[in-house]
Amino acid sequence: MTGEKPDYLGFGLGLRPQHYSDILEGSPNVDWFEAISENYMIPGGKPLKMLDQIRDRYPIVLHGVSLSIASTAPFDKDYLANLKSLAERTEPEFVSDHLCWTGVHGVNLHDLLPVPYTEEALEHVVSRVNHVQEYIGRPIALENVSSYVQFEQSQMPEWEFISEMTKRTGCWLVFDVNNVFVSAFNHGFDAQSYIDAIPADRVVQFHLAGHEDQMTHIIDTHDAMVCDEVWDLYRASVRRFGKVSTIIERDDNIPPLKEMVQELTIARDIANEIFSEENLAKGSQRARV
Amino acid sequence: MIDVSLNEPGATRSVPRSSKSEVQSAPSLTLAELQDLFQRAVMDGDGAILQSIPGNGRTTSDVLLGVYQYAYRGRLADILGIDHPLLKRHMGNDVFDEMAHAYITAYPSNTPNVRWFARHLPTFLKTTAPYDAHADLSELAELEQALANAFDAADEPVLSLVDLQAVPPDQWAALIFQRHASAARMTSRCNIYECWQALQDEEEPATINEPVVNQELIVWRKDEMSRVRIMTTEEAMAWDEVMRGATFGSLCEMLAVYDAPDTAPMRAAQFLQTWISAELLTTASNKARSS
Repeated sequence: MTGEKPDYLGFGLGLRPQHYSDILEGSPNVDWFEAISENYMIPGGKPLKMLDQIRDRYPIVLHGVSLSIASTAPFDKDYLANLKSLAERTEPEFVSDHLCWTGVHGVNLHDLLPVPYTEEALEHVVSRVNHVQEYIGRPIALENVSSYVQFEQSQMPEWEFISEMTKRTGCWLVFDVNNVFVSAFNHGFDAQSYIDAIPADRVVQFHLAGHEDQMTHIIDTHDAMVCDEVWDLYRASVRRFGKVSTIIERDDNIPPLKEMVQELTIARDIANEIFSEENLAKGSQRARV
Repeated sequence: MIDVSLNEPGATRSVPRSSKSEVQSAPSLTLAELQDLFQRAVMDGDGAILQSIPGNGRTTSDVLLGVYQYAYRGRLADILGIDHPLLKRHMGNDVFDEMAHAYITAYPSNTPNVRWFARHLPTFLKTTAPYDAHADLSELAELEQALANAFDAADEPVLSLVDLQAVPPDQWAALIFQRHASAARMTSRCNIYECWQALQDEEEPATINEPVVNQELIVWRKDEMSRVRIMTTEEAMAWDEVMRGATFGSLCEMLAVYDAPDTAPMRAAQFLQTWISAELLTTASNKARSS
C-alpha cells in the first residue's frame, strides 16, 4: 500500500495520564503527542475525553504495543476492529506499532518479543502488514524494538529485514534511536551501519528514551533521561534522515511535564542546529553556483 | 562514525556470533516453532530455546533470555498492583507478590489490552487456597475492579428528572428503566465497604467481620469519577428488580409486600429520584411499547 508521507510534526512527547491537566491547563512547548493506542481502546470515560480534548489542540499519533505483527498466531479480530475504530475517532497523523510479536497460542506476554530475521519471517510479516494496512485503510508505521537475544536461525541483519519489509509493504518506520543503541550494545553491531542502511525516505518518526546499563547488556527501561551516547546517535540520525518528527518517551519514573519539556528542548536544539548547518551548506553551494 | 560495540569496534555484522562451546548447532526451526519454544521459555523456564540463542560475548544466552523471563512476571505483577493498590496494601507487598505470581501462572493473559489482565482475580481469590478462606480478599478485588470498570465504562446519556416529568402520569406504572453502563451492583458477605474506605484513607483496615445481613453496594460513575455507596436491603432489592425489567408499577407492588404498603409508592418514587440524581439510569421507556 502506498500513501502520502505523514507531515513533519516537530517535537513531541508520549502522552501520559499524569500530564493531562498540565497539557490542557497550560500551553506546554510541545508540538504533538503520541498516545498509546491500547490505553484508549476502552468503552468510554475520562481517558477518551482527555484524548479528544488534547486531539483538538495538538496533532496525535497512535502508537500500539499489541498488534503482534510478527506472531504466527491469527490476528485478534476484535483488537483490529477496536484499533480501526479508535483511528477513525481520533484521526491521528498516523498509526504505529512495533516489529515484534507478543505471544502465540492465545497468550499475550505483554512484551515486545524479538523476531528471527529469516526469509520465512520476512514473508510472514510482509503478509501481515499488508493485511493490517488494507483493513485499517492506511499505511502503518513500525518501530524497531530493543532486543536482548538474537536467533541462530537469522539469515540477515535487522536493518536488512526492516528495509525489505518497508520496500515490500510501503509501511513507514518509527526509528527508535535508543533501541538501536540498546540492541547495538547487546548484539555487538555498529549503530552507524544500522542508520546508514535504513531507507531515509521511509522514516517518519524518531523515538528517544532512557535505558539501564547492566554492564554485560543494556535493558530498555524508559525510566530515565536520554543519555549522552543516545543524543550522539540522535545527531547521526538527524544528519542521515533529516527533518523527522521526534518524541521522548517515559513510561516509568515519570517526571512533571515541565521536566519532560526541558528534556525535549535538548532534542529541539540538536535538530535545529543540524538543520541550520545544512541550510547554511545548501546556501553556500547555491552561492558558488 | 558512532560505534557502540565494545568488543569489535566497527563491526557491522548483526547475525548472531555463535560461541561453539556454547551453541553446538542451531536446530532448523520454523518461525512458529521458534515462537512456541521462546514463549515456553518465558512462561515456564523451558530451556530448549537456548540452543537457538547465542551469548553476546559478555554474558551467556541464559542471562539474556532471563531479561524476558524476569520482565514477564515482573511486569504483570506490577500491573496487578497498579490495578489493585488497596488489595496490595491490605495483603502486604510480600503476600501480594506471591499471590500475583500464582495468578499469573493460573491465568496467563489472553487479552491484547493489559487493562483487562486482572479481570479473573476475584474468581482466583475466591477459589484458590489459601486466599479462598478470606472473603475480604476476593471482595476487595471485585470492588476495585467494579470501580475501574465504572471509570472507563461506555459514555451514555443519563436520565434526568425533566425527562421523567415529561411522561404523562397515567403511563408511569408501565415505565421500565435501564441502568447506565457504569452502574454495577455488588453484594459483600463482610464489611468490605468499611475495609475499602479505611485502606483508601491509609488507615489500618477495619476489622473484617461477617455482618448479620449481606452488605449491598452500588458502584457507578458521575462527573468522570467512580463512586460507591451502600444500599439498604430494600433499595438493593428494588434496584435488582428494576434491572430485571420490573415496571414502576410492579416495583410499587413489590415494595408494598416487603414493608408498609401505604408508603410503598412514595418509597419507590424516592428510590427513583435518588438513582436519577446520581446518574445511575440512562433511559425510561414504556414496557408495552418497547416489547
